[in-house]
Amino acid sequence: MINKKSKLALIRKKLHLRKKREKSLMEEYQKKLIDSLSELRIPLLLLHFSLSFGTLGYMILSGGNFIDALYMTVITIGTIGFGEIAKGTDTPEGRIFTTFLAIMGIGIFTTSITVVIRVFFVGNAINLLKYIKMLAEIEKLKDHVIICGYSKTSAWFVEALRKRRIDFVVIDSREEALKYIQLHNIKYFIPEEPFKKKALLSAGIKRAKYLIANMEDEAQNIAVIVTARLLQPDRDALFIYSTAPTDGTAQKLEELGANKVIVPDKLIANRIFSYMLHETRGYISDLFDKIAYGEEVDLEIVELSVSEKSPLVGKKLKDIDLRKVYNVTVIGIRKFDGALNLTVTGDTEIEGGDTLLLLGKPSNIRKALEFYKEVL
Amino acid sequence: MRLKKILTDFFLLMALTTNISFIFNPNPYELVIAVIANLTATILKLGEGKILATEMMAASLVADLHLIPAAFVYFLGDVSEAVSLAIGALAANIISILLSIIEAIFGYLMEE
Repeated sequence: MINKKSKLALIRKKLHLRKKREKSLMEEYQKKLIDSLSELRIPLLLLHFSLSFGTLGYMILSGGNFIDALYMTVITIGTIGFGEIAKGTDTPEGRIFTTFLAIMGIGIFTTSITVVIRVFFVGNAINLLKYIKMLAEIEKLKDHVIICGYSKTSAWFVEALRKRRIDFVVIDSREEALKYIQLHNIKYFIPEEPFKKKALLSAGIKRAKYLIANMEDEAQNIAVIVTARLLQPDRDALFIYSTAPTDGTAQKLEELGANKVIVPDKLIANRIFSYMLHETRGYISDLFDKIAYGEEVDLEIVELSVSEKSPLVGKKLKDIDLRKVYNVTVIGIRKFDGALNLTVTGDTEIEGGDTLLLLGKPSNIRKALEFYKEVL
Repeated sequence: MRLKKILTDFFLLMALTTNISFIFNPNPYELVIAVIANLTATILKLGEGKILATEMMAASLVADLHLIPAAFVYFLGDVSEAVSLAIGALAANIISILLSIIEAIFGYLMEE
């Protein structure tokens, strides 16, 4: 007996050598969908038994005619009742059988149809199917943005992303947020808590370029940032942006893994101050804001860093022909020590460590950057 | 869950045995019973997310999709075609039974 038990234990040990893998969100939804189908089991069984009972009964009555027997059963329990079509059904025995079949089958038929409709249309099956399809589409995204937490700020952010046709995935599990996500017609969203590993993995964190941690409170933002950094430790591969109530918290979040943390109150104060500085109409503030924050879709300002070994070093601005070839203007140069030169001319010489500030149409800027990325 | 296992295995075996007897001696009632037993086994497997259960469900569905057309073909007069479809279903039935045996062995190892 002991020998048998130890043998079993050995087999069990051998069979459990593989470590249990955590299920992905897609697998979890597929499992839930399959589980939801188990509700169909009893009504379908009852429907199947009544159909089988009727078919076999009519087959016996009609001398083995399967097609007529099945047809007769369906029109009887489906309350169609075209008449006594199968052979032998117009006899007293046939009529007794039809009576019993109708009493039993009609109830089963209507109940089964109700349950099937409820599982698919009232229950979760359709939603689960939608989520599975959505997750499959998210798997194809690359260099996209992941937005954790859908608030008013996120809604404005989504608007800006849509203008630039940048793909994004929203993660939020709150009922209220999900209501707005559907109202705002968000294409890709994951109804899970954003600090869950599998939610971030399903949102494609390994392929994403940006992550916005915009949760309701600080602790949740910390959880999102830490989890995201655990999954993607490279700060240059995934840029994490977040918000914090104070400078101190912002610093902590940056230490934890965020690339940049914005303090909303401070930002608002600075913007109001800039309006005050630039007279009452605030045209300059508006223009610079729009360009800098990407609200002006026809104009963009970007930075181009020049390394010490770059072939551009020592060249004059007029020699590199940025304006002529790409319709892009160098509006200023930030020097290595941080000093900003805004009085650049064609004769201004480029030095190693300079950062050129380029202004132009987004498409032209992209072309220029692509060219210089290869050269620099 | 034991009762469900008994029922599923019963219907799987029933489908297999009636299918074999239909192949050797084509008879309308046996074919219909094979279809009924096979469909019942499929419905009993509905909604089970375990790996072996899904494999069994797939195998049962294959058998269904052979046996149902076989029934129509048989009653439309082409007996040899119905028999060949039933042979196809037999392969799926055998796989179902093998999977059921594997599932039983795993269940035994887990419980003992």
